[in-house]
Amino acid sequence: MILMLDTTREQIGKQLAEEMLHSGVSSASYELIDTTKLHISHCVGCNVCWLKTPGICAIKDDYAPILEKMSKADQVWLISDTHFGFVSYQTKNIVDRVMPLVTMYLQIKNGQTRHVMRYDHQPDFGIIYTGDGKQDYLEWWCQRLTLNFGSRSLGVFPAEHSKEAVTCML
Amino acid sequence: MHVVIINGSPRVQKYSNTEKIIASFAKGLSEKGVSFETYAVSDRKSWDNIQKAYIENEEILIALPLYVECIPGLLLEFLETLPQKDEHTRLSFLLQSGFSEGCQLRCGEGFLKELPGYLGVRYGGCLVKGDNFGIRFLDQEKQERITKPYQEMGELFARGDGFFGEEAKKFTGPEYFSLPMRLLLQFLFKTLSRKMFQKVAASWGCTVSLTEKIWETN
Repeated sequence: MILMLDTTREQIGKQLAEEMLHSGVSSASYELIDTTKLHISHCVGCNVCWLKTPGICAIKDDYAPILEKMSKADQVWLISDTHFGFVSYQTKNIVDRVMPLVTMYLQIKNGQTRHVMRYDHQPDFGIIYTGDGKQDYLEWWCQRLTLNFGSRSLGVFPAEHSKEAVTCML
Repeated sequence: MHVVIINGSPRVQKYSNTEKIIASFAKGLSEKGVSFETYAVSDRKSWDNIQKAYIENEEILIALPLYVECIPGLLLEFLETLPQKDEHTRLSFLLQSGFSEGCQLRCGEGFLKELPGYLGVRYGGCLVKGDNFGIRFLDQEKQERITKPYQEMGELFARGDGFFGEEAKKFTGPEYFSLPMRLLLQFLFKTLSRKMFQKVAASWGCTVSLTEKIWETN
């Protein structure tokens, strides 16, 4: 399953979905969520999802179903506007709130400290961005993000090259 | 010198590890006769005041926790509200994290290095330090003891050279842990540290396993 989370003002995920259908990605194999009309708060770092109600975020807003879909997806594509060369705060908020997917427990993995994962399956992550994203930095960040999941970066693509991203979904 | 210190943590100040670190750091500034004022982005109502302080002052320090390899979403949102300034303003950072090794913070530091350029201001360096997750769980006396080293960094910052010197670099500690240390940690993570976290969880009213699954995945 491919999950696309679109936080862009111009909702470019819709065009992307069209490209996917043209390229033969079946509509049953992906879900596009336009998050612009949803209420998704920022993570407040309360640690409740680790230490009080393990796996459950204390913030009650529109995020919970997205978190469960991310957890079960094979690929999560963050479709984001960019500021300061980085993803928008709306996208960063979505990513910051993945904490319920890891546990409080720690381990050494590939030479670095990591959290022990809560679930067996981990999604890969990719980024499709609009505007002046700093390509090399976004690639670095996506690598580091997926390192925490023990999964793979699917790559980082400017929106005008989203066809290349689609080839990663086939 | 007068420093505007902004706590970039989204956590309420009362439980903010960054807040405790700032308190110690600021003590170091005071020791050297440097004045400061502090703000916290976790309080949205204060954003107008923080902007004003940012605009009117030339020495700005943002202290922040690492959130998923970069800066917290809330701080990112706040930064978008800042106007362009010029090179007379210097923006420095104190980046702290839960994970201990220096390598864990480099991606976040990488973003912070470039950020002043986007805002038109000068970069004053980034003090990088991990191993701060547990501060909030300690009593006040232990909190003061464990954050004491930041006081020296405050004194260092008071010299006016930002965080570019060797002392600031050294403060990070090991970039990676040595093999014997990793083996020891792996053992502690599986034993003592689990017990410690279970104890905290119990005191928070948690009645289930910390590895509880909410849904099944394939």
